[in-house]
Amino acid sequence: MEGSPIDIIVFAPLAPLLGVLLFWFIQLVFIESEKYFLSTIRPKHEPLCRFTNLLGIIFQTICHALGYTVTKSGVSEFYISVNYGRVAPKKEKKGIFEWISNAFLFIGPFFIPAFLLLVCLFFLMTSGFEITTPAQLLESKYTFAGQISTFGASLHAFAKGFFGFLFNIDLLHPGHFGFLLLLIFLGMGIRPSYIGEEKKEKVGMLYDLKNVWSLIKNKPLYVIILFLMAYVFFYISLFLNQNWYVGLFSILGWLSIISIISLIVADMILLLIKNTDEIPGFWKILPYITMPVSYILMRLLFIYFPTEYTNIVSILVMILSTMVVTYLLLRFKTNKFKTQLDIKSLKKKSKAETDEER
Amino acid sequence: MKKDELLKNEKVEKQLSPHPLSFMRYQSLSIFLVIWGVLVGWLINFSGYKDFFNNEWSVILVWGLVLLLVGIIASLVTIRWSIFFFYLGVLAGGVGLLLWQGWQNNVWIFIPFYTVAVSIIGFLIVEFYRRSHKYFITNLRIITQGGISTKRRMSVNYENISNISEKQGVLGQIFDFGTIIPISKSGLGLGDDQSLAAGGIAVGGDKSKLFGFFGGGQEVKTPKSRTYYELHGVYPFKNVRKLVSQLHHEGGTITPYQQEQVTFQKEQVDIQKQMRDLLKMQTEPKTEEEDEEEKD
Repeated sequence: MEGSPIDIIVFAPLAPLLGVLLFWFIQLVFIESEKYFLSTIRPKHEPLCRFTNLLGIIFQTICHALGYTVTKSGVSEFYISVNYGRVAPKKEKKGIFEWISNAFLFIGPFFIPAFLLLVCLFFLMTSGFEITTPAQLLESKYTFAGQISTFGASLHAFAKGFFGFLFNIDLLHPGHFGFLLLLIFLGMGIRPSYIGEEKKEKVGMLYDLKNVWSLIKNKPLYVIILFLMAYVFFYISLFLNQNWYVGLFSILGWLSIISIISLIVADMILLLIKNTDEIPGFWKILPYITMPVSYILMRLLFIYFPTEYTNIVSILVMILSTMVVTYLLLRFKTNKFKTQLDIKSLKKKSKAETDEER
Repeated sequence: MKKDELLKNEKVEKQLSPHPLSFMRYQSLSIFLVIWGVLVGWLINFSGYKDFFNNEWSVILVWGLVLLLVGIIASLVTIRWSIFFFYLGVLAGGVGLLLWQGWQNNVWIFIPFYTVAVSIIGFLIVEFYRRSHKYFITNLRIITQGGISTKRRMSVNYENISNISEKQGVLGQIFDFGTIIPISKSGLGLGDDQSLAAGGIAVGGDKSKLFGFFGGGQEVKTPKSRTYYELHGVYPFKNVRKLVSQLHHEGGTITPYQQEQVTFQKEQVDIQKQMRDLLKMQTEPKTEEEDEEEKD
């Protein structure tokens, strides 16, 4: 076995942990972007925003209730509405139990929706769930570099399988279509921060981070115990020569990847809604009609000209045709790209209109 | 609502009809049929299990069994046997049409299309039923009406309303619609929720048997009404709720006759007060100052 003892004993267990943290931060950034899109479309799409709030609140309250159940505090009250959720414990427990329930509340909503999608993926994906160390790193498997490489390799294998599945998704297969809907809906629900009727400045990425930080700061002893447990688990994996430790964190990494992808898909849908809102009248429905029509037409075409790239080409054509139609509508039906009036003329026109009104 | 149907000095404050999604209880029956129609079409024509459905009767059997099973589960959960009979009707209709027209060889196309077609008819019936509902909130009363063939209508004056019950489900919270049930003093708008429990036991061998039976029941009064006797799924819920509560609180606007009565009573009170003051002045003994003033 290669690697210095200090590297193996002290630094190696930190590698997958840091990897998960990195992915979690990326997830937070995408959550912020989704929040931005939702707040921009809120005036015209209140029901959609209420729906996403409900999804977010459902996951948050479920995680809270799960926290109370795990700590054996019990659940005496469970209430969910579009605006807020409330969970009350049967017995108020202090110390480590309270800390664990709070940890579930603050961190759970980031991973629970992705976990549900991962369960579905187990049935739909054929490969990508391997946790193997690259052959050239087998000797230095338990060093910092070896651990991070194994973590990265398992994430690479999963991402490859997941993207392969997503781009070959058969939208005429009920299971695949259901998964896509779930991916979009859960993507909209991976958002513990609430989009209310009134804008709340304190609710956001920094607020979420502050909550997690206060959880760590208030009880540093518990965090140290958690770290020690992680180290002990690493040493057990090391002595038994198993990938258990890195495997556990790889699963968290997979969950982050699923969350990020579902957030990106949800963001794309929200972006489409935001853009079509600017198109006047009946024309705004056209991009939504283009989507299924182009896909079905491509699939029909491939019945007569079969190829192994049927699914991927159909999906790409669907995405591209929707984008092109939306762009053309924005260009010819609105003045978004200043094609009908340049900024100077637009300013003049609006000034003239204001003067007339006066 | 025509003008001549309004009472004297009555004014329509709001005219409402149920939200398109407020009849989801019935629409969900059709939604299930669409999903099952598409799924069964995929299952018997394109999936990996399509070899299992080589025989036309295996298709009908699986299709019918799932329909009935879902019907039974939905009926038990909602305590409405009409759901089961609806799906039984869909099954019987499908099989009947298939045998009548001799389309057994085309069952792989017929079953999915028939299921989706029935669901579309279901959607249309629900939509017609929804559109038959009209609610009028006037300054004096609430008028509700509905029904496709038999028109039902009810009006309740605000002074006769004892309580107002409100209900808003998850969809209602998302799309801002909800149901308002005006409960009248006579009990209109109240229904019963019944729960029953029963059990039996049989003990003994072939010759002697002992049989016992025990049971119990419970009844709870709860705000419940037909969709044409309540403000079902009205939109925007917050505004309608506020308006109804306000009108209920005021007890309806005072009619001109009532206004005359109030003015008349006020005048009467004023006259009586003046008379009382005069009587007081006559009966009270005069003070010394007043006596001196009189002498001067």
